[in-house]
Formats: sequence, structure tokens, C-alpha cells
Amino acid sequence: MAKKKTTRSKKTTGTKRTPTRKRSPGKKRSAKKSSPGKLARLFRWLLLAAGLGLGLLIPWTLWLNHVVVAEFEGRKWDLPSRVYARPLSLYSGLRLSPGALQRELESAGYRRVDNPDAPGEYSGSGGQFDIFRRAFRFDDGPQEALRFRVSFSAGAVSALASPAGGGELGLIRLDPAEIASIYPLHDEDRSLVALGDVPELLVTGLQAVEDRQFKHHHGVDPRGIARAMWANLRAGEAVQGGSTLTQQLVKNFYLSNERTLPRKINEALMALLLELHYDKADILEAYLNEVFLGQQGNHAIHGFARGSEYYFGQPLETLAPHQVALLVGMVRGASYYNPRRNPERAKARRDRVLDTFAETGLLTADQAAQWQAKPLDITDTPGFGRNRYAAFVDLVRDQLQRDYREEDLRSEGLRIFTTLAPAAQAAAEDAVSRGLDDLADRGLPEDLQGALVLADVDSGEVRAVVGDRHPGRRGFNRALNARRQVGSVIKPLVYLLALEHPEAYSWLTRIEDEPISLVQPDGSRWTPSNYDNRSHGEVSLLEALTRSYNQATVRLGMQIGVNHLVTRLQRLGIEHDVPAVPSTFLGAVELTPMEVTQLYQSIAAGGYSVPLRAVTAVQTPAGETLNRYPLRLTPQARRDAIAVLNYGLTRVVTDGTASALPGLVGSEGMAGKTGTTNERRDSWFVGYTRDLVGVAWVGLDDNRPAGVTGANAAMRVWAGLFRQLPVEPVSFDLPEGASWRWVDPVANALSEEGCSGAVQMPFVAGSEPETAVSCGNRREPEEEKSFWRKWFDKD
Amino acid sequence: MTRIETQDVTGALKGLACVAMALLLAACAGGRTEPAPIDHRGVDAEVRTPAKAESAGVQVYPLKNPAVAELTSQASQAEQGGNYDQAAILLERALRIQPRDPELLQQMAEVQVQKQDYAQALSFATRSFDIGPRVGEICARNWRTIGLAREQLGDNSGAREATGRADQCMVTKPQGL
Repeated sequence: MAKKKTTRSKKTTGTKRTPTRKRSPGKKRSAKKSSPGKLARLFRWLLLAAGLGLGLLIPWTLWLNHVVVAEFEGRKWDLPSRVYARPLSLYSGLRLSPGALQRELESAGYRRVDNPDAPGEYSGSGGQFDIFRRAFRFDDGPQEALRFRVSFSAGAVSALASPAGGGELGLIRLDPAEIASIYPLHDEDRSLVALGDVPELLVTGLQAVEDRQFKHHHGVDPRGIARAMWANLRAGEAVQGGSTLTQQLVKNFYLSNERTLPRKINEALMALLLELHYDKADILEAYLNEVFLGQQGNHAIHGFARGSEYYFGQPLETLAPHQVALLVGMVRGASYYNPRRNPERAKARRDRVLDTFAETGLLTADQAAQWQAKPLDITDTPGFGRNRYAAFVDLVRDQLQRDYREEDLRSEGLRIFTTLAPAAQAAAEDAVSRGLDDLADRGLPEDLQGALVLADVDSGEVRAVVGDRHPGRRGFNRALNARRQVGSVIKPLVYLLALEHPEAYSWLTRIEDEPISLVQPDGSRWTPSNYDNRSHGEVSLLEALTRSYNQATVRLGMQIGVNHLVTRLQRLGIEHDVPAVPSTFLGAVELTPMEVTQLYQSIAAGGYSVPLRAVTAVQTPAGETLNRYPLRLTPQARRDAIAVLNYGLTRVVTDGTASALPGLVGSEGMAGKTGTTNERRDSWFVGYTRDLVGVAWVGLDDNRPAGVTGANAAMRVWAGLFRQLPVEPVSFDLPEGASWRWVDPVANALSEEGCSGAVQMPFVAGSEPETAVSCGNRREPEEEKSFWRKWFDKD
Repeated sequence: MTRIETQDVTGALKGLACVAMALLLAACAGGRTEPAPIDHRGVDAEVRTPAKAESAGVQVYPLKNPAVAELTSQASQAEQGGNYDQAAILLERALRIQPRDPELLQQMAEVQVQKQDYAQALSFATRSFDIGPRVGEICARNWRTIGLAREQLGDNSGAREATGRADQCMVTKPQGL
């Protein structure tokens, strides 16, 4: 296998990132083709010499034989691994919009029809869908095809029923979208298909149109040539080609499009040799993956699988007969019959192919006429194909290479089950690209970049990854690889470390927000200032966090010790060095969006850390599970303090730096933290709901000042995503050791429900105020009044 | 989301007898230094039966989503058939739907005991207790599982503490309800 790969990469004429080899037949002669070229000249000489003795043909044939075998072995593709999205589970009560269901169905290649009577079809929209689920082999066992009806009301699934008996169904798992086919150990970019997965109509139809004797000939079909010549003579133009599929493959593989007799003879000889060495199935499979079907910029579209993605935006297996006919028709001339550029010509060709399907009995005449009445059904814009989920697949590759043995990943045709939610991924991509366009309209730089990560809070399953404002572009994946200063996003950990000492700290503990000057380890002085360049005097910890006061946070941090912060970061999954200097309290530490997501997963899940996962299981093609990533929880020690911290982070959204968020999202009950770095280079927002945690970053690639703040940029991108997702309010499951108390926050004293000024907030046991105020006996220092007043008005 | 049922008096009396038995058993378990291999004891004998007996007076049933109910009943079947890996997979699917269901988390903890993954049994049972009712049968199962897991992990004093906590599930007014 290693040898094959080497051979292949040598032949690749495009750059490393070229998705398909750049080879339009006849146009370009790559370096590798020079040997057939030389051979061709040699061959002409041989033709002269043929008069002297036909015996010389034998060494020539032996040489060609060597070329054919070496070349075909190098191009025979191993089966790639298939990568699946997470399957969508439907049940009554699931919060899902009909639009999101439709996006999920489309990404899984479901076809919308009037009456779904075959697996892979659906009908309906809005309030009700009929879906014919495909059979699928999951990592936990096979599942049958099933037709069912799903009804919606008020943004949720209201009923699931089987239309046959009308019985209620509890849980339906759809077959997952196939999001990529990859070679886990190589950065290949191809969409390949195994013969067994190609629709029957494509396999038989291709032979009906291009080579009816394919099963019987030995590479060359003299009768076919005669028939083609006769047909062409009658039509007065070249309407039929006499080349067998084998000859076409040979031409595509080894030769140029030149139409000279020696070349034709070479082609025929090589076709015969190919047939001698390989069986029909191998040859056909190679043909199906090699055929030229168009040009996308400077990348050639090779193979029916890629062609299907490119023209129809759907997997080959899901094509309808008229779509199959178009692709088969395009074999004759992919540019000439290009359906996007020459739709009428393409439709005429397609309809003629449908006629041929009917003549050869592959379709009935009625069916052919029915499909001929259909439009071309191509997508307006070229399908992403393999690039569609590139940012997420980068994470899949990372995780596989980190955690799986290389020899396991070498196996052919692995089945890789992942956690991607296609509808959420689409929403995330939209949020980044649209969000950054909006920011440019608001006067921020045009070349801002962004990244977004979305993960499930309790399972750590990564649902979406965006690493570039242009989601289709492959290159630097900022979500995984951009390490940037995090700014105030780090602060909640400082407060958590304080809350873990209930004898000393609660949300009501007072701290000075006053200028502070510290000597850094390198001897320089560090005097942090606040965002508004003011100091706010004595404030509560809660106010300092929600307003993101720097001076108060550094003072608190100095009481706790920077080493504790560094240790905690490492315990929560940050693997590289973090500087143990006071500026770390304000986020002078570089993390990737993925690392920040990992930090906050644990907080959002109430102190139960799980490693972020993109892969849940890997199976061999035979269905043997190689490895599984089960849900594994690691409880953090002070979950009481984490629950109390969660409350503070909801206050950031209701009363603090993120108070614009509910308006942007249109929902309540979220928690989060903004982050801005020096000179407004980076904008961060980390936020979570009960179920989902999202991290957004916005900035410039070269780290220039970008004019961004957490609230003006990243929070807007985050909101653009969560606006499209069901938002369940953060819940406070206070663990043992934390409890709700009625307090008078201004007096920092216990109070009672119903007393004026009393609010309820959680305390770690032992951190509650020691004194109590009676109703109506309150102290209200003027400078703090406005902040608390805002709360009282809300509460 | 929860409803509390009180059983009739004879049931409660039977329950009391069982509690006494369970306490005796627990005392024996607490005194052991070497944990017995788990397959001789099992989750049913060590966790579920005594917890059910102890909690005969007070029951807390979280109302269950039908999809979750379908998956948990399949998981129970898999567990009874000795297919613990499959049971864990099914429970993980159920937890994707209701990640903070104390009953589900506890069931997962018990499957982890069967799989002899005591660290995870401890994690899931702890989480179930953190967000659960902290009273009644599920509370007793939480602490019995925690005790069992701690014992297997070599934390004998922690295991004894857990046994005490299991008994308190019936008498202590839970915090934070």
C-alpha cells in the first residue's frame, strides 16, 4: 500500500492541496506522460521496421505490458474510509424546526418527492413530513428501512407515527449523512466509490451508452467499431464512438487525445493487455473513478462520485435516473455538455441517453418519458464535495491520528462515526460568514477572520467547527490551530478559584477596583487599567466579574496566587505551558478556540469534564468495532463552587458586558463571558445554554489591532449561530454544598423572601453572609446603588 | 417533574424488615478489607435490591420521555443478557436525549459496575446524586454504587461513609429541594 501511495503521489500533477489530479484528457501532457510520448515516437519507428520483421512487435508489447501494469497498480485506489455525521434521533418533544429537519435530510442525500415510496425519499414541509428512512448499519447494530410521518408544532416534534398502521413511534434514528470519504493517514482529496455502491442504473446505463459488449470483449470490440463507423456514416457526423470502456480508460490513464493511427493501435494494445491482467470489475471501478466530468477552476472533476457532488450536491448513491443519465451523457464531452454552461445542449444529451436506457430495457418507455419531463435538477453553485465539511474533518483526522493505531487506520474502507450535526454546521458557517460581513458594514476591517466551535455540554461531542470566514476554503483552520490571547475569557477561572474558598469568598465579598502596579518576573512594571480607563472603588466579586473589571480581578488573583490558576488550566486540559505571571489573570495566554471550548465545557456541565470528541466509533468494513470513544466523566473537586460560578456567568448576560446578547439571540437564560485583548486585536465570546457551549473568535490573521471587542464582534457571531438553534435556559442543579439564599446584596447580609431589596443567589456552604438584615432595614451606599438597583428592577 | 408516592403500611413494614437485613449486610461489607470479586455479588444484590427495600416508604419517579424509556428498556434487556457494552451504548444514546436524568445516570453507573469500570461507576453515580432528588430509592442506589466503587478502588473509609449516606437517604431531609 505504501508503494502504491508513492506511485500515486508522483503522478499527481497538481499542488498538494489539489483536490483532484489536474488532467483533462488530451490537453495537458504531464511529465509522466513523456514516457508514452517517447514510446510513441519509438512506435512510429517500429512501424517502419515492421516491414523488416513483425517479430519486433513482441518486445514492444512486453514494454507496453510493463507500462500498463505499473500504471494501473499505481492508480488502483484503495477504498477510502467513510465518515458519517451523527445520526439525527427524532422523538416527540425534540426541539427542532422543520427547516432544520429539511437541512438534515438534504445533507443525508434525501430526495424530496410527492409520494415517498422508496428509501431515501421524503415529502412534506412545514408541519408534517413523510420520510422513508434508509436501512443503515450503525456502530451498535443494523436498522431497517422504515416509512414514517413526523409532525411539528411550536418548534418541536409533536408526533411520530408509522402511516401504515398509524401507530405511535417512540424514537426514530435517521441514517446519518456521509460527510466525507478520507484516507485517515493521508491528506488526499478525492471522492471515490466502490463498484458495489454505484447505482445499478449507472453501471448498466454506462455500458448501454458507451460499450454494450463490455462484458464480453477482451478490451477491443471490432463489432462496436464497425457499428460506430456505420452509424457515423449514416448520420454524416461522429455520433458514436467505437472505443470500449477499457480503451477509454487507457486513453484517460496513459495517452493524450491525439487521434492518430499509431496512437489508436497503442491504445488497443494496451486495452488488450489491461484486460489480460485485471478482471472486468477492477477495470470498471477504475473507469468510474477516473472518468473526466468537468473542470472547476484549475481542478479537474474526475469520477462519478465527485461529479455527482459537483453537479447535484448529493452523493452518487442518491441520484435519480435523470441525473444518472446526465452524468452518463457527459462522458462523451464534459465541457461540451456542461449543464451549467450549456443547459439546453446538456438536456438534449440527457434525454437521448434516457431514450437509450429505454431502448435497452433499463427503463420502460413511460419511465423514460417521465424523467425526460424533469428539469436538469443540478445545483446553482458547484457542490463542495469533500470540502463541504473540511474544517470538521480536520478535527476528525487529528483525533484519529492521535488516538488510533496506525495499522488500524491503514485498513481499507473504515467506517468512521462522528458527532457533526449538519444543520448546526450550516448554521455556524452562516453565522461566521454573514456575521463578519455585517461587521465590515459596521466599519470593522474587511479582512477580519473568524472561528467558531459548537459542542454538546454534557457529552463533549463537537457539533460544528468553522475555521475560516469562507467555509469552503481549505487552509488554515483557525478553530483548531489559531492560538490567540484570550483576554477576559480567562477571568471566570480566577473567580472560581476564589469561590472554592467559601471561608473567604462569596459573590458578595468586596474587592478594591483601584490602580495596581506589579513587578513582572522580568523586572518590568505592570499597571493594568480597566476597559473604561476608570477605577470603580469597592465592588463585589459579582460586579467585578459581570463588568469585567481588570484591576479588581488582578487584586483577587494576587490574593489567590497565579500558580493556582496555571495548575487549574492544566488540569482542565490545556497541555502547553502557561506563563505564571500576573498578566495571566487578564488572559495574556494564547489558546485556540478548541481549547477554550474544552475549558468551558467543564464549567457548563457543572464540573463534569469530558474530553471534546469528534469521533465516537471506528469500524472495519465488516462491521467489527476497532475502537469506541464512550462518554467518560471526570468530576472536578469543587462542583459547589462551579455551580455558583455558573450563576455569575448568567449575570454577565443579564447585567454585565454581554447584556446585549438576549436581544441579539431572542432568548433568555444564557451564560457567557466576553473577551477583548490589548489594542483590540482579538474578540472572544464564550457562551452556553443548558445543552450547548459555543466559542467564537474574531480578529486579524496578522494580529494587527482590529478594533474589535468581545461584545461588538465575537458575541454577534455567536448570537448569529444561537439564534438558529433551540435555546434551553441554563439550569442550576446545585450540588450538595451549595444552596440558594435570600440576601440583601447591597448590605452583604442575609435577608428573606419578599423583603424589599432581597435577591436569591447561590452560595457555597460557609460563604453565606454572617449577618442578617430585617426587612426594610437596609443600607444602600450611593456608589453601588445603580448596579444593584438594576437587579431589583429586574427581579 | 417528580411525583412522590407513599406505599401502604404493610409494604412499609416489609420494607423495614428488609432495611434491617440490608443494614446487617452493609455492616459486613464495611468490615471487609479485601473487596470480593464483583461477579459473585452483582449490582442487583448490592445496589438495587437493598435500595428498593430501604426506600419502600418514599419513591421518587422522574417522568420519562418515551424515547428514553424505549432505550432504557432495551438497555435493561442487554444488561440482563450480560451484554454490558451494548447496554452502555444504549444508555449513552438515552443520555444524549436527557443528559441530566438522575435515573439514567444511575443506570449507567450500575452498568459501569458490571463492566468493572469503577472509576466511571463512581463518576456517573456521583453525577446522578448531584442533580438527583437526594432522597429515596435513587439516592440509596447512588450511595450504594459509590460505596461499591470506592471499595473496589481501595478507598475503604470512603466506602464506609457511603454506606452511611445510603441509610440517610430515607431519613434526612434533602438539601436544595
